[in-house]
Amino acid sequence: MKDFWRGLVATLPLAPGVVAFGLLYGMMARQVGFSPWEAWAMSLVVHAGSAQFTAVGMWETAGAIPIVLTTLVVNLRHMLLGASVAPYLRGLSPPWKALLALWMSDESYALAIAEYERGRGTHRYFLGANVGIYLAWPTGGLIGSLLSSAIPDPSQYGLDLVFPLGFLGLMTAFLKDRIGVAVALAAGGLALLGTVYLPGKWTIIVAGLLGSGLGVLLEEVEQAWRNSGSFSAWRW
Amino acid sequence: MEKLGVLFGMALVTYFTRYTMIAALGRGMPVLARRWLRYVPPAVLAALVVPAALAPEGHLEVGLPAWAVLAGAVFAWRTHSVLWTILGGMAAFWLLRLLGA
Repeated sequence: MKDFWRGLVATLPLAPGVVAFGLLYGMMARQVGFSPWEAWAMSLVVHAGSAQFTAVGMWETAGAIPIVLTTLVVNLRHMLLGASVAPYLRGLSPPWKALLALWMSDESYALAIAEYERGRGTHRYFLGANVGIYLAWPTGGLIGSLLSSAIPDPSQYGLDLVFPLGFLGLMTAFLKDRIGVAVALAAGGLALLGTVYLPGKWTIIVAGLLGSGLGVLLEEVEQAWRNSGSFSAWRW
Repeated sequence: MEKLGVLFGMALVTYFTRYTMIAALGRGMPVLARRWLRYVPPAVLAALVVPAALAPEGHLEVGLPAWAVLAGAVFAWRTHSVLWTILGGMAAFWLLRLLGA
């Protein structure tokens, strides 16, 4: 129970960003014909911010199938997140795995995986983080859809920066050696290139796969160097 | 009602992406795969941070978000704390905004 609360409390710094974007989502959903109840329902059952913004954005022009398929593509990155947290969840029962998957968000994943990396992670912490974000997101959506008019753009107040800043704080857990730093730099650079030059929603998954692959490659190179004896000369 | 059908479909595919890997990678993973996965968190987190800092509107741009995230990086490096990183970065954002940058 203590770990659950720790996970829940850990989401508090991120909550203002989550609620602010929930408000914006609720307002946008209202504008394309959702009732407040429907906008709230989408947040409750889908619980995926970027996918919901995309779905609402294409609501009036696209059919049901394209919307669902786009949701799938936008959320494919969760397969990568799930794969990376899976080794820590190996001993859990199937119901626990199913429960943790249900409300896994980028934010709660990041909180949990950093905690696992620091050796303090537990499935209850993960659940607490999931629940914290899950409470904040639909609440923002409901309030936003009820107010419906005149919700300012969160980025005007820098609230969109809550997420990258929070991820930055969590990322330090993985930058303990130079390979971790190289992976982060490479993936960040790739994602930037992808965002600027590639259409669509593949940036994070591609940068995530290639960047982490580079990590394994660098491990191999380092190993080969060490074995060849010339490695010590290259140590920083 | 069609809306509810779409919501149900969206919920289903979203859960699919969240659950499959957690369920499938239960036991016995190749060593190479496990080593690869260990580098996924820094890669994904960096992929979320860098474009938000340097291309918030989809094109390269060194503006307020970039400087705020840079300030946040200093806080992250010194404190390793999510709260301080957010507070530091946001403070930088507001300071620069008030200064008219």
